Parts: sequence; C-alpha cells; structure tokens
Amino acid sequence: MSDLAQTLAIASSGMQAQSNRLRLTSENIANEDTPGYRRKLTTFEEVVQGGERTGKVQTGPVELDPGERTRVYDPGHPLADFTGYYDGSNVDLVVEIADAREAQRSYEANLRVFDQARQMSQGLLDLLRR
Amino acid sequence: MDVSALQAAQGYAATRGSAPPDLAEAGSTAAGYVRDFAQTLRDSEETAVQAMTGKADPQALVQALAETQLAVETAVTVRDRVVEAYQEILRMPV
Repeated sequence: MSDLAQTLAIASSGMQAQSNRLRLTSENIANEDTPGYRRKLTTFEEVVQGGERTGKVQTGPVELDPGERTRVYDPGHPLADFTGYYDGSNVDLVVEIADAREAQRSYEANLRVFDQARQMSQGLLDLLRR
Repeated sequence: MDVSALQAAQGYAATRGSAPPDLAEAGSTAAGYVRDFAQTLRDSEETAVQAMTGKADPQALVQALAETQLAVETAVTVRDRVVEAYQEILRMPV
C-alpha cells in the first residue's frame, strides 16, 4: 500500500474515531436530566495489527465517569428519598458542548488531510496525462 | 567513413549488454498491480453494499470510493500511455 493510500486510511480512521466520540457526547447531552446517569467517557488508542503499530486511531472501551452526581431537591419526585433529594446525572453541559466542538474540529482536520492526500495522488496522475 | 560488419556487430552487442531487459520480472509486477486493482474494486463494492445496508460507516465508504477512483484513474492513464506508445511504433516509417 502506498503512503498516500495509507494516509487515506489513517485519516478515515480518525474521522471514524471522532464520530464515535460525538455519539457518546450526544448520549451524555440527551441524558443530562436522567436520574442516576453517569457520563460516558472514552479514550483514543493507536491500532495495533499483528503486533505492528499501524498509525490508525480507534476509540477504547467506554468508561463511566465516577464523579459526584448532582443532588436534586424535589420532594414530589418518585425517586426522592426521605430528605426530598434524589441523584441527578453528573453531566456538565458546558463540558459536553466543548467536547463536541473539539470532535468537530478534529474531524475537520482529518477531512483536510484526506482531501489533501487525494489531491496529491490526483496531481501526480495529471502529470502523466499532459 | 567505412563501418565494417564486425564493428557494427560489436557496437550492437555493447548496446544490448548495457541494459538487459527483464521481461519476466516486469510481467509479474504488472500482474500484481492488476490483482491489486481488482481487489481494490471488489473491496469498494463490498463496502458500498455494507454502507447502503447500514453495516459500514460513511467514512469507510468515502475512503473506499476515493481509493477506487484513484485506482481506476491510474489504470486508465497507464492504458492511454501504452496505447499511445504502441501507435507511435505502428506509425514508424520502415
């Protein structure tokens, strides 16, 4: 596989990883008001194929944020205990929005690399065509 | 200037010896390229079907299509050059 074709594959894996991250972010945002919800986290890792590092990226296993959940005061809520509080989620909307924006920027960067590799191969071929 | 047959033969042998054509090797490389080309097309077709049925990601589809486009363009360009060279030989005044 040529370097440019490999670049295409690596940029594609980066886009894949970033869309996976955006999916988790959207799950967190959607569940912001779910009682007892813990926000989902993921890490990025390099793909190793047959003991060889390929340079591609993938998302690791999904982990749950062990952070403190917000205590919501609502005595009328079915989940509220005798003090009138229940466990909310530990999702912080600001963090999630920032995460989503970061995923977008990274996706765009990978897209640019993809397009550039494509243009470079195309330019090389155009040379032959006169 | 008088060129003897012996000199001509020696000159010819010297030219021929300088660049030995390895046709067998070139043939196997070309066959490898054709195999790669067919494999790229097959992979892309498979990815397209999977993307349409929701089993593959759009990124994989775009990557496969970009690879196929480059492969087909390479094949077409190389074919054009080969045909052109062949026609050039045919047009040679003998």
